[in-house]
Amino acid sequence: MYLLIHRPKKSSKSVCRRSNIALIFVSVVTLVGCDSRIEKFDPNEVFSLTLAKSESVDMGQAQEDVTKVIETLFGTPESPTWPQDLISEETLVQTERLRRAAGGVSSEQDGTHLGLFQEHCVVCHGVSGNGRGPASQFQNPYPRDFRPGIFKWKLTDRAEKPSREDLRRVLENGIAGTGMPSFSLLAQDDVEALIDYVIYLSVRGELERRLLRISVSSLGYGEEALSDGERLQFPGDEQSKQVIVSNLERIVGQWVAAKDPDEEQRLISFNILEDDAGISRGRELFHGKIANCVGCHGVDGSGGVATLDYDDWTKEYTTRLGISPNDKDALQTFREVGAHRPRPIYPRKLKNGVLRGGDDPVRLFQLIRQGIAGTPMPGVTLVNEENGKGLTEAQIWDLVSYLHSLQDK
Amino acid sequence: MTARDSTESYTTPPAKSVHRLAVLAVCMVWPLIWVGGLVTTYDAGMAVPDWPGTYGYNLFLYPLDTWLLGPFDLFIEHGHRLLGAFVGFVAILILFFAHRHEPRRWVRILSIALLGMVITQGLLGGMRVVLSDRTLAMVHGCVGPAFFSLCVATAVVTSQTWRRARGDLNDPQHGKWNIALAASVLILSYTQGMLGARVRHILPDALPGEFTTTVAQHISVAVLLWFLSVAAFRRFRGCGDLTLARPVLVLLISITVQIALGVGTWVANYGWPGILGSSIIQAIPGASQYLIQAKGFWDSIVVTAHVAVGSLILAVSTMLILRLLRTRYLAFAAESADSDFERQSESSVSVGQAFS
Repeated sequence: MYLLIHRPKKSSKSVCRRSNIALIFVSVVTLVGCDSRIEKFDPNEVFSLTLAKSESVDMGQAQEDVTKVIETLFGTPESPTWPQDLISEETLVQTERLRRAAGGVSSEQDGTHLGLFQEHCVVCHGVSGNGRGPASQFQNPYPRDFRPGIFKWKLTDRAEKPSREDLRRVLENGIAGTGMPSFSLLAQDDVEALIDYVIYLSVRGELERRLLRISVSSLGYGEEALSDGERLQFPGDEQSKQVIVSNLERIVGQWVAAKDPDEEQRLISFNILEDDAGISRGRELFHGKIANCVGCHGVDGSGGVATLDYDDWTKEYTTRLGISPNDKDALQTFREVGAHRPRPIYPRKLKNGVLRGGDDPVRLFQLIRQGIAGTPMPGVTLVNEENGKGLTEAQIWDLVSYLHSLQDK
Repeated sequence: MTARDSTESYTTPPAKSVHRLAVLAVCMVWPLIWVGGLVTTYDAGMAVPDWPGTYGYNLFLYPLDTWLLGPFDLFIEHGHRLLGAFVGFVAILILFFAHRHEPRRWVRILSIALLGMVITQGLLGGMRVVLSDRTLAMVHGCVGPAFFSLCVATAVVTSQTWRRARGDLNDPQHGKWNIALAASVLILSYTQGMLGARVRHILPDALPGEFTTTVAQHISVAVLLWFLSVAAFRRFRGCGDLTLARPVLVLLISITVQIALGVGTWVANYGWPGILGSSIIQAIPGASQYLIQAKGFWDSIVVTAHVAVGSLILAVSTMLILRLLRTRYLAFAAESADSDFERQSESSVSVGQAFS
């Protein structure tokens, strides 16, 4: 007590100086080591909440179990694993490439780069490929969320996965007018490793979504807490394993089935592009009732049509749940777990505008035919003969000719 | 009345060697910041995984051909370390010559601080590698400009201009508001550097809101700095003292260029910002079709120049505030000497009268 009372008082300057030093020390200690390792992928809480709202169930237990299963199968951002033992396909993703793309950024004496995803992609696409990287809010459209397994720019059919070549084209060409860079200066091995890692994140994320959905629809999660024996586990009982493996096989199978169309077949009508008659027919189709491109893209593709629509990624937790994209209060709970604020999507200005999918005629043909997955841009019905209900292959080429001609005007 | 520094004696010869070495340090540290910026731009901070050696070699014995002809990442990272080490040697020489020739105690202390800071900076860089820690890389990136600023301060206070400076209380340049203006520019320049380092070294798992807030702060401070630099330019441009007028002109030009480089940096990294609106983007030639090129050479030069010019702004702000404080100090010293002289005169007159 004596000591407490009679301890000599420090001058206020000295106390202030010491507290400043302490503050700096604490700040440095707190800062250092914050980012040494990213231990886990974020669970897909937005989709969990979507299911919780749509099914009126509690997703806590399902989320916990699915996250454990996914982590067991796919590892962590620092140490990813590919569940090769569970699938028959052997070439889709190579573990060695995964390891090169994962983890922190570094390079070796021979110039081999490691941590490629963190180096090139994570700032926009996020650690788990959820499209919520630190810089994602500045991108319009938002960076792709790989987890639903839906990709815009591809030559495969709308409902199909992109082929490996599709992903390579996007990486090498970039997407002009957006935040997606061209990685054409990267070594080919680096690009291949990134492709593997994107497929890995997509398969991982899609399986997570499927298991979350199945856990509510078929496994009895949500109403009341399940006992240990009833819960989804890996390695677990036969039923768990069967659910997990069958869904994994299905997703992987879709990726394996996605092939680039045959080159010769794609170039079959290439020579019609310079044909004035084709351009004229294409213009007629563009403004006609069947294709009705004018309805969104404006007269002669000049844009300016008032439309109000949103891309599919945000519709999942808005319009499909009966929530208005403008209802901030209703969206607040989704925003809190990481959902992006819905943004309107605008039809592209085609006249001297940027064709984000590329202006290669073959790609334009495919975009007209299939539409653009994840957006309101519809495909057309392909018919063998003109019947007023769809477009023939020749008519689509006419439209391509016309679109190409718009770029020169 | 004007006065030179009345409280500091120059009985020993002026320490020209310290000034020359300090200028050498300034000339070496700016390229060092360029190379360091390039290391971050190319994500080459971990191109050499060991420290203080390079792939098992002593830093200075690493084979030249492997360094010069090897991968670009290794070239810039090892080059950054070598240049940093040479700056360290210069700091040792500054300390040595300051303690031999410099009469002012506080300048000798400054030389100790200089060496201490370069050692700290080296350790931070080393720990960033050993711990593979991105946050430490950010701290390293923040200390670099501060060290550059300290080198500039050493060069300024050991210069002839500093010794020849005169202060006059009737001069309005070193009034309180001007000092406050220059201090604000200095503080905001450094804050801006830290915000920029945070944007550049953002952690992969940072929330989008965190990044957005930092970018918004970075832009706001840039705008504020530009207005302050305009205000400083208007106040000092015709003051008749070139040691003040020139730095404010350089400051205004640098901050204007820096804002342009900032826009370039953003575009090189993230494309044209959608916030500008499609009509503005359409109006800028090539903007709507702009394609970002990952690891593009010119892009990386723009991004790195943004870092380097930021340090230059800090250095010029340091020079400005030091020169202002110097003239203010001398003006007050002269005033105080005048008062003493008058008191002494009055007392001499009284004594004279007593003896008359």
